[in-house]
Amino acid sequence: MQPTSSMNEEFLKKWQMGLQIFRPSIDNTSVHERKKAIKLSADVAMASLRKGTTCWSRALIEKTATEDNFLVRQMLSGIKAETLINKKLPKKTVCHRKIVRRSKKILRRKSKSASEEAAAKAKRLVKRRTQGLRNVVPGGELMSNDVLLLQETLDYIVSLQTQVNVMRSIVDAAEAEIER
Amino acid sequence: MSNRRSRQTSNASRISDDQMIDLVSKLRQFLPEIHERRRSDKVSASKVLQETCNYIRKLHREVDNLSDRLSQLLDSVDEDSPEAAVIRSLLM
Repeated sequence: MQPTSSMNEEFLKKWQMGLQIFRPSIDNTSVHERKKAIKLSADVAMASLRKGTTCWSRALIEKTATEDNFLVRQMLSGIKAETLINKKLPKKTVCHRKIVRRSKKILRRKSKSASEEAAAKAKRLVKRRTQGLRNVVPGGELMSNDVLLLQETLDYIVSLQTQVNVMRSIVDAAEAEIER
Repeated sequence: MSNRRSRQTSNASRISDDQMIDLVSKLRQFLPEIHERRRSDKVSASKVLQETCNYIRKLHREVDNLSDRLSQLLDSVDEDSPEAAVIRSLLM
């Protein structure tokens, strides 16, 4: 599964829409503010690729909506912006955590063989790594299921690659044009 | 009862483990560094997950860098110049 050309086109179309909305402020603002606007519209464009079908895209839409609600609504006008912005994200499973913690204590009391100890170490390391993923994937903290987290991660990477590919193409083309 | 529970638990955990293995192997295909290694090399799940985190952070930095370059470009070009028109036609 790799970014498709139709994904690239769709992203560019959405990104252009966002930049058009921003244009007045882009022309009359500082480099830093302009960069923020460019990045924000790119993030919304990326999230819109999934039309709210993934947890990461809904989390990203919610986050960007808190920064610029008007822009998000405009860019998502064809995808029921209101529903997406207000759609609930998975709740954290506090109760589940307690149960897991309790069972871990019970398990720890038993003595383990060398191979069992090694397996336990490996599991703890994997858990730490998945925690790292939760930090970098939008909405990752809310996915209590590791399988869901990995599925979302795969989809997020494809979308990120789309974002980077299109942005790089535009920047490279613009720089080449200036050098003429 | 306890037997049923333990069976369900082990079944669910087995299914979940299979899914995890499948997903981790898919993640490997996205990671340039790990992907280039020979298939015979065993790469642990935790290593794949670590590389995945690094890759995502790298993409984040790239987006940030590209946004910066684009912002600089729009700033450095004279408002009424042909270059500005080209950039705007590319973007807007």
